[in-house]
Amino acid sequence: MNQESLQSLLPQILLALGSTAILLGGAWVRNRRLWLLVGALVAIVAALVAAFVEPPQIDILGMYSASAYARFCTVLWSLTVAATLVISCRYVDIFRFGGGEYASLMLFAAAGMSLLSAATSFVGLFLGLEVLTLALYILIAFRHGDTRGAEAGMKYLVFGAVATAFLAFAIALIYTATGTFNLQAAAVGLQAGDGLRPLGLAGWALLLVAVGFKISLVPFHLWTPDVYQGAPAPVSGLLATAAKGAVLAAFLPLLVMSGEGIADIKAILWLLAIATMLVGTFAALPQTNIKRMLAYSSVVHMGYLMIALIVAGADGSRALLFYLVVYSLATFGAFGIITTFADENGEIQDYDDLRGLAALHPRRSALLAVFLLSLTGIPPLAGFFAKFGLFQAAFRGGYAELAVIGVIASVISVYYYVRPVIALYAPESASVCRDVAARSETLLLVGCAAVIVILGVYPTPLLSLVALIIP
Amino acid sequence: MAIDFPLLSLLLFMPLAGALVCLVLGMGNSTAPRWVALLTAAGVFVVSLLLCLLQTPTAGWLFYEDYRWIEQFGVRYTLGLDGLSSVLILLTAFLQLLAVLVSWRQERAPGVFFALLLVLEMAAIGVLLALDLILFYLFWELMLIPMFFLIGVWGYQRRFQAAVKFFLYTLIGSLCLLLAVISLYLLHGDQTGTYTFALEALKQTELSTTQELIFFFCFMAAFVVKVPLFPFHSWLPDAHAEGPAAGSVDLAGLLLKTGVYGMIRFAFPLFPVAAQKTLPVLAGLALVGLFYAAWVAYQQVDIKRIVAFSSISHMGFVILGLAAWNQTAWEGSLLLMVNHAITTAGLFVVVAMIEQRTGSRSLDQLGGLWKSHPNMSAFFLLFCMASLGLPGLANFAGEILILIGVFTVKPLWAVIAVGGILFSATYTLRLVQGTLWGNNCEPHDKQDLHSREWLVLIPLAVLVVALGCYPQPVLDLLREPLSALLLVGGMP
Repeated sequence: MNQESLQSLLPQILLALGSTAILLGGAWVRNRRLWLLVGALVAIVAALVAAFVEPPQIDILGMYSASAYARFCTVLWSLTVAATLVISCRYVDIFRFGGGEYASLMLFAAAGMSLLSAATSFVGLFLGLEVLTLALYILIAFRHGDTRGAEAGMKYLVFGAVATAFLAFAIALIYTATGTFNLQAAAVGLQAGDGLRPLGLAGWALLLVAVGFKISLVPFHLWTPDVYQGAPAPVSGLLATAAKGAVLAAFLPLLVMSGEGIADIKAILWLLAIATMLVGTFAALPQTNIKRMLAYSSVVHMGYLMIALIVAGADGSRALLFYLVVYSLATFGAFGIITTFADENGEIQDYDDLRGLAALHPRRSALLAVFLLSLTGIPPLAGFFAKFGLFQAAFRGGYAELAVIGVIASVISVYYYVRPVIALYAPESASVCRDVAARSETLLLVGCAAVIVILGVYPTPLLSLVALIIP
Repeated sequence: MAIDFPLLSLLLFMPLAGALVCLVLGMGNSTAPRWVALLTAAGVFVVSLLLCLLQTPTAGWLFYEDYRWIEQFGVRYTLGLDGLSSVLILLTAFLQLLAVLVSWRQERAPGVFFALLLVLEMAAIGVLLALDLILFYLFWELMLIPMFFLIGVWGYQRRFQAAVKFFLYTLIGSLCLLLAVISLYLLHGDQTGTYTFALEALKQTELSTTQELIFFFCFMAAFVVKVPLFPFHSWLPDAHAEGPAAGSVDLAGLLLKTGVYGMIRFAFPLFPVAAQKTLPVLAGLALVGLFYAAWVAYQQVDIKRIVAFSSISHMGFVILGLAAWNQTAWEGSLLLMVNHAITTAGLFVVVAMIEQRTGSRSLDQLGGLWKSHPNMSAFFLLFCMASLGLPGLANFAGEILILIGVFTVKPLWAVIAVGGILFSATYTLRLVQGTLWGNNCEPHDKQDLHSREWLVLIPLAVLVVALGCYPQPVLDLLREPLSALLLVGGMP
């Protein structure tokens, strides 16, 4: 590893070093908020470096790339983590988290996600994914003594370990079949019918299982609602947005660059997309707990994103990235609101506890409504153009049936997204939450909502940016 | 196009600005939002009146704005105003002003409430101005959200069910529209190489008859649900019955109109061949709806539901006029639409006043209001008479034009439709008899109209009489745009 590769990896190195420093510092100074804010600062600096410092070389040791696309992803994940840290400020005080450990693990997760979406070889991919997952194991079970949290952590650990095993085995098989760790070469090799094709295909199938678990595609989604419900709300937010986005982002270049390389598995993806959209939608309908509902909602949205992966090409990738950003903003916002509603008695999760909150907290209720309506895809919120781009790409790519199913799922989704909103605005009040949101929380969430509205009215800037960085 | 000032955008964004101010002021103050809403609505009304007065009786756009917007998708911000849009916008602005006055005493979260009313107004105006299909769709969907919350949050007992029903019905229709718009856009792009959503460009797309029929059905799915045409109407009575008074005024006055507008501005000109082929079906449904809704209205006990069903029945008449596809009938349809909006708004307003005073909307419990509240009852009687089509009052002029127009094409349709007027007389008279005469109910509020209520009812009553006796100004504005739209479709 020479100096140039180090320089190219600067954002990731910053995240990892910052994380270690905070972990050590946290042992000396037990100030929670300080470390959270330092962590957020480190993440922002990493994002700025990724955005504005031109890396000296694109290919790093054949494992990672510092392309515009990878840097764009790094910016996204770092900013998500920074926002998660800011929104957690009051939350960590209420539940007496170790501030240093929390911030440090969040930064580790950011480094992992950033490596994951920058990976160009299976080894890099595996490393990034494990860094991310290990940090998440701890973060999910961060509330000591909370049985639901422990259950969630355990579930994620068991499923995660199995998925890791699948991934390792998949990599072994693909390597056997094609003789390379390079993602692109492996895909092309499979297409050319090189080597042991059946083994290679089996490897891809196992890989899909591992990915399916990570981004909770049906039928690998069963852990999602329990883990989201049990994990601390800000961590659930991270799980639903950046953690899934990083995995998807890692596979996007694979599908786009390899052209017809993995046409063989498109049929499976097609089935997975349909199953994910439909099962997720119907499972979300009866939910009366907002975190579980958001968990199923994230399942459904991953189904939508699968459409973009299947369509691939410039259209598909543009739609996917735009959708990912918009979806992440809204989902992060929704979990952020749940975070700010938490007090000593725990988080407010059931719709019955949300009843009448609008009278007490008009701002946050309105914001939650904006986030949920954006997820529904109602104009003039950004969710509309995200879905519009997706369905348009599907039509153009000849997958009209996927678009139609997506549209049907969106219609049904109205029901589960508006139920909590109606509960918020119910005339009687059942809730006891009287905490006023901190100014930083309100500012951050208002910012998210503002971006959603602006992108909903004028999506051109983000669309052009996304078009620029497509691999 | 002679005026450079973006008057249309001003018209569009004035309510939005008002809504934002309402939201901000509504945080601490409970009376400021209503004044803001009133001023904004009045401002919009003045501007739209100005636009109507500036209108010259020529075809083409008097005002037109066109800007780049989302280049990646070929979406543009295109607005255009002709006589047709200006009449409907004036109607929208007028009714919205009344809706604000009707909800003057709104106490639950007034800031949000009035903000939603103003956003609804903006969306309705946007629908009437947009000439780019995505822009149109955006406003079309935007109408849903405020209406959904007005019903779902400020409504009566079963408001959630009613709101969700309304939302799902209209959303399913809208998404059919969206799918058709996207396919049409791609088809046009593949044919010509330019991907655009502009209405004028998309009219040139070459379609096979089958394609045209499929697209036409998808477009109409959105529009007939909104109108609503039998058998897609079942959301409307619930939405009316469970929604607040201002919601009902807006539903009857704003939302239903946009359905018809969508047909004649978008669905018919884009797919003229398919439209011609389906006219008999449309007329058939309209006639069935005309009778069916009247019959159901006769069975109702809740007076708000009676008015809601009468509204469906009248919209059947409007659609019948469109199906005749000639100038006279179309003018009649549009005129009836305007008149119906005014009379129905009047009816809903008085129904809300009756409910305030007696605490009931049931015919079983009402009666004898003529003695206790003579002024209010007189207005109610006037609107009821207008609604059943008494000559000299608003609805008659539209209905007679429709009947004449239909008779010249399909005499049988006209003969059947005349029977519908008889039906409407029966339920209206039952409504009048049950509330104004008969046994005295015991209203807990003895006060007849107070000044704010006079202020709402007098303009409505004046318009009902004026449009009944002299509808010419409205017809003048409608003539050229309608004949231009008819020309595109060609004669049957």
